[in-house]
This record gives sequence, structure tokens and C-alpha cells, in this order.
Amino acid sequence: MTAEIRDFLLESLTEMKYSTDGIDEDTVLGPAGADLESLALAELALRVEDRYGVRFEVEEAESFAGLTVGEFCAVVAQRISTSAAT
Amino acid sequence: MTARAAVTGIGLVTPVGTAVDEVFDAVCAGRSGLSAPPEDHVLRGVVDVAAFAPPIAADSVIPAKEARLVDRSIVMALRAAEDALADAGLEVGRDVDPYRVAVVVSGVGGLDTLADQAVQRSRRGRLGVSPFMLPGVLPNMAAARTAIKFGIRGYTSSVGTACAAGGQSIGEALRILRAGEADVVVCGCSEAPLFPTFADAFGNALALAKGWPDPATASRPFDRRRNGLVLGEAAGVLVLERPGFARARGASAHADVLGWGATNDAYHPTTPRPDGSSAAASMEIALRDAGLTTADVDYLNAHGTATKAGDAAEAKAITSVFGGAMPPVSSTKGVTGHMLGASGVVEAAIGIAALRHGLLPPTHNLDEPDPSMDLNHVRDKALAAPARTVMSNSFGFGGHNVSVILGRADA
Repeated sequence: MTAEIRDFLLESLTEMKYSTDGIDEDTVLGPAGADLESLALAELALRVEDRYGVRFEVEEAESFAGLTVGEFCAVVAQRISTSAAT
Repeated sequence: MTARAAVTGIGLVTPVGTAVDEVFDAVCAGRSGLSAPPEDHVLRGVVDVAAFAPPIAADSVIPAKEARLVDRSIVMALRAAEDALADAGLEVGRDVDPYRVAVVVSGVGGLDTLADQAVQRSRRGRLGVSPFMLPGVLPNMAAARTAIKFGIRGYTSSVGTACAAGGQSIGEALRILRAGEADVVVCGCSEAPLFPTFADAFGNALALAKGWPDPATASRPFDRRRNGLVLGEAAGVLVLERPGFARARGASAHADVLGWGATNDAYHPTTPRPDGSSAAASMEIALRDAGLTTADVDYLNAHGTATKAGDAAEAKAITSVFGGAMPPVSSTKGVTGHMLGASGVVEAAIGIAALRHGLLPPTHNLDEPDPSMDLNHVRDKALAAPARTVMSNSFGFGGHNVSVILGRADA
């Protein structure tokens, strides 16, 4: 599941005109890495919600800035499994 | 008090070109900017005719990451601002304290993009609405993004007076400079009305020209057979400076802004006051503000959108102000169409070119002047006449009337 989420993330970044060069498992999504700013993080959350039918709270979307690609994929995968279980 | 403001930079994006002289040549020669919508345009089949400005890639003026959802009105404004600052040879921070530069760039905002987002909302619900929508559509964003792009940190705003907004932005800039609140003001207006919802709003209000087989003949200011306006898209930005500041940095002025006036019809949201009395007052206030009399005006660039009621009211207003001492009058919208609020800036630039070239543009398509009007028309071809002072009128839905007076910088 996380591999598919990673592909979706990279695809989203490309559509959002962010470079995916040099992005790996340990790249941070926010300014320290991929450099997504606040509206871009909000859009990323929206894209995940649209694709996987999950929902994030505002604080969660904001916290994405501090996550690495690997952590982000894990968080999304967990949310999908939780949401599927309910 | 600084009586005048020096116009040191001009940036235009219009249906008849992006360079001032190119635009001026077009209005003087009657080279029309009006056409049927191109095959691939969203207005194809919606309107018979409109005035289309050249395409501009959004990522040529703002970062690609933000360019995915930004209205054309903002993109055009930024291009015009960039050209105006380059023309002025002004770099904020190098040539002027960023806090001593103001921005007044106006327009109705990104209604096309807003309309599209509303469609996405109804199709896809919450998930259809982009977080980038507000910076892409709000009416202050042309001004705000101008400040961001050029590092301008002083007073910034946008004027919301519909089709009077461009003229009023020039007036506000003059006021800011006179008050000593800035040394430089980047002022202008940008409008991108060429999308179906907006065009249908004008069409259903019976404001659009129709029934003209040749699109170039559809906009007919002051003509007996005129039957409405032709929508156009444009942006115009001027750099205004305190004349002393411009001189000190070695910048030359294209012309000076001498004064302005603004009034309201207090009559009806869209129909102009039929006797034109408030519009007349706006012209008179502008003359007083500039310390001039009617005899000083060498050319009047009328608002003249080619609607039945608008042209009739303006003609009455002009006649009541100038009477028998009327300067040559023309509306250049026969060539450019009605670029809404941006008209006031584009037409101020045309007025400046008229001052510089000693040539007054004619009203295109004025084949048979409306016999109910008593105006000193410039018709058929441009009139060679040395001009020292020009007046430019801009009127808007809401009854807003603005008159701006420009003069030769050396006069």
C-alpha cells in the first residue's frame, strides 16, 4: 500500500509543479526538503482525501510539513486502514 | 503640495498591442482589435465579437507552483506592471525605498476562475475547491502580487469602481503623491471579462453590440446606429512619481498627471443619469484640481462605450462643460472595445501618446454621428494638432464618474 501511496505522492508533486528530483524516503515534505508551502500542503491533503476517501483535520495537514516521504506514506496508509475498518 | 505627478513608466496589454506606440498607431489608423472569438476560445458561439489581448503564460510572471490557479486578470496586471517598471527604469530597493512605493492596481478580480471553481464545487463538492483559489481570484491580488513580485512595501490597495477603476487608480496615485505618502506609485487596472458567464451577463442586460456582420464595425461610439459595447480584455499600469523624485534619479517623464475629479450619479446601479450632470461635475472638478479652464483642454478622450444611454449622457455632460469652446473629442473604444476598468489606463496612455505626437485619434466606426449630440468629433482619420493638455473620462456601473487630466511634462 505505501508503495502505491508514494507513487501517488510523486505524481501529485509533479502535477503541483514541484520537482521530484532527489526526493527519497527520507526527504521532508516542508521547507526543509521538498519545500511544500502551506497552501501546497493543504492541496496535498485534499488530493489524498479525494483519492482515498479519508479525512484529515487542519492540524494534521499542517503537520505534514515535518514528515518525511516515508512517514507521510505510513500515516496515509494507516488512515486508510482505520477508515476501511469503520 | 505636489501639483503634478510625473508618468515615468507605461505598461500595456491590450487587444491592439503591448507597446504604447503600437496601441496609438492602431487607434489612429483604425486598425481594429475586434474579432469573432477564435475557434478554441470559450466565447466561441457565446458572443459575435470581442477584443482579445495576446495570451500570456502565467508562469512567465509568477512561480509555476502558484501559476496553476491564477486568473488571467492577475497575470495581465503583472506583465503590465513589469513592463511599466522596466520602462521607468526603476528598481525598487535600488532606486527607491520599498516603503516609499505604493501600489493601486484595480479590477473586478478573477471572476472567470471563481466561476470555474463554483462549477467544480457543484460537481465534486468540497474536494473540487482549490486552496489556491483566493490568491488566484481576489480583487486585491493584482495589487498584492505586484507588491510581492517587486518587493514593494508601502501603501497598497485596489479600487472597486467597475469601469471607472482604472481612471480612479490614477487619481488615487496622484492623491497619494500629493499627500507625500509615497515617492512612487504603481497604478493601473486589469480586466479579463472574456468568459461565458460574464459575457452573458452583459448580453442579457442588453448591453452588447449585435448584428454587425463585420466584427470590426461592431463598436460604434457616438454613431447613430450604435447598439452596444464590445467586451475587451486588457491591463494597463503606469508608474507615477513625484516630479522632484523622478528628476533627482535622472528619469524622464512621458507626461504629467495634472488633476482629477470623481463623482457619483446617485441615480441607478447601471443606467447613467440621463442629463449627465454628475459626469459634468467630475470634469469640472478635474479642471479645478488641475488649475485649468475648459479653454486649456486640447483633446478629450471620452468614455464612449457605444451604448445608447451611456454615450448620450456623456455627450450632454461634455456639451454642458465645454459649450462652444469644445476641444476635439473621440472615443478610442471603436478600435479597442470596452476594456472595462482597464480602459481608463489604456486611454490615459493613448492621451499621453497624443500629447507626445501632436496627433489626436479619431472615433472609429463613427460613420453617421448621432444627430442628437453636439460634439466636436474627430472622425475618419487622426487630427494633427499640437496638444498640451488632454482629459480622459471613465464611467462605471454604480454611477462612478472619473475624469483625469494629463499634460506635457515640459509644459
